[in-house]
Amino acid sequence: MARAGGRYSQVVAWLKILLPLSALALMSTMFLVARQTGSEAEIPFAEQLREAGRADEQVGSPYFAGTTERGDALTFEATRARPVSGGRIAADELSARIGLTDGGTVDFRAPNAIFTDGSAMATLSGGVEIDSSTGYRVRTERLNAAIDRIDLESDGEVRADGPAGTLTAGKMRVLPSGPGDEVQMIFTEGVEMVYEPQNSGVSDE
Amino acid sequence: QGAQVAFGDMQQSTDAPVEVSADELRVNQSDGTAVYTGNVVIGQGDMRLSAPRVTVVYVEGQGRIERLEARGGVTLVSGEEAAEAEEADYDINGGSIVMRGDVLLTQGGNALMAESMTVDLNAGTAQMSGRVRTVIDQGSNADGAN
Repeated sequence: MARAGGRYSQVVAWLKILLPLSALALMSTMFLVARQTGSEAEIPFAEQLREAGRADEQVGSPYFAGTTERGDALTFEATRARPVSGGRIAADELSARIGLTDGGTVDFRAPNAIFTDGSAMATLSGGVEIDSSTGYRVRTERLNAAIDRIDLESDGEVRADGPAGTLTAGKMRVLPSGPGDEVQMIFTEGVEMVYEPQNSGVSDE
Repeated sequence: QGAQVAFGDMQQSTDAPVEVSADELRVNQSDGTAVYTGNVVIGQGDMRLSAPRVTVVYVEGQGRIERLEARGGVTLVSGEEAAEAEEADYDINGGSIVMRGDVLLTQGGNALMAESMTVDLNAGTAQMSGRVRTVIDQGSNADGAN
C-alpha cells in the first residue's frame, strides 16, 4: 500500500532515526561517567580524616585494617591521627598487629608514627616495642613498617629478650624469607646474646 | 674402646651465663626455631665453641634451651686443649658437649683422633670413642694404638 503522506508518517520516519541515535548516545555515556575508583594503596586513617572533614582536622581512635597478598592480617590503630605537612598523616600512640596465616602474631607500638601518602611505609619513633608470639620482646628507637605487606625494619640498634636469652644487634628485620617463605625475625649487624642457664634454679637478678 | 682424657680446667661452672655472638640470628615466627649463622662463637667460662651455623633447641614447652647444635665444622677450645670435629651438640644444663665426625683433640704436642668425643665440662674430662688413635709426634705417621 502506498506510503500515506502527511505529518504522522513524517514524524515516524524521523523517530526511526533519532531514537536509535539517542539510545546509542545514552549507552556510551554510561561507561564514561562510571566512578573512577582510586587504585594505589589507601594510607591508614586517610579515609577517616576525609570523613572528619575540615572541622577539627583530626580523628580520635582511628582504625585501619588490611590483608597482605599472603593473607596475613594487618591492623593499625592510634589514639589520634591528624594530617601534617607534605600530605602525611601523624598518629599518636600507634599500636599495630600482624596476624600471620598460621596463627602467630607480631605486635608493635610506638608513641608516634608518620604515614606518607603514596609510600606504603610508616615510620614509628619515640621508642618502639615489638612483641612476637614466639616470645621475643624487642626494643628499638625507630622502626619502618610496611602497611600493605609484612616488612618491619629497625632503624638502628635493637635490644631483645626471649627464649634464647637477652640480645643486642645492630638491626632487626621481620619479613617472609627463606624456603616456604615463612615469616622470620632476623637480627643482624653483630648479634650478641647472653643466656642464663636456669639449672641452678636461682636466677641472679 | 674409649680413652679418657682431661679437658679444660676443673672449675668450669656450668651455671655461668652462656654468651653467643654471631653475624645473624634468625627466629622463625611460625615455629619459633632460632638459628645463628656466620662466625658463631658460643662461650661459657673459658670454653669457646665456634661453628658457621648453630641451631637452638628448646626444652618442650618451657622457654629454656635444651641444647645448641653446632654444624658445618666446629672448633672447641678450653684452656690449652683444642678439639675439632664436623659437628657438636652442647647440652647447656647437663654441662656436656658431644662432638662427632673426625674428632681431632690436641693437647700440647699430643694429638688424639676418634669418631666421637663427649666432654664433661663439670668434671673437666673428655671421653673419646670410635677408632681412637694417638699421634705422639705431629711429624710421624699415626700408629694405631688400640
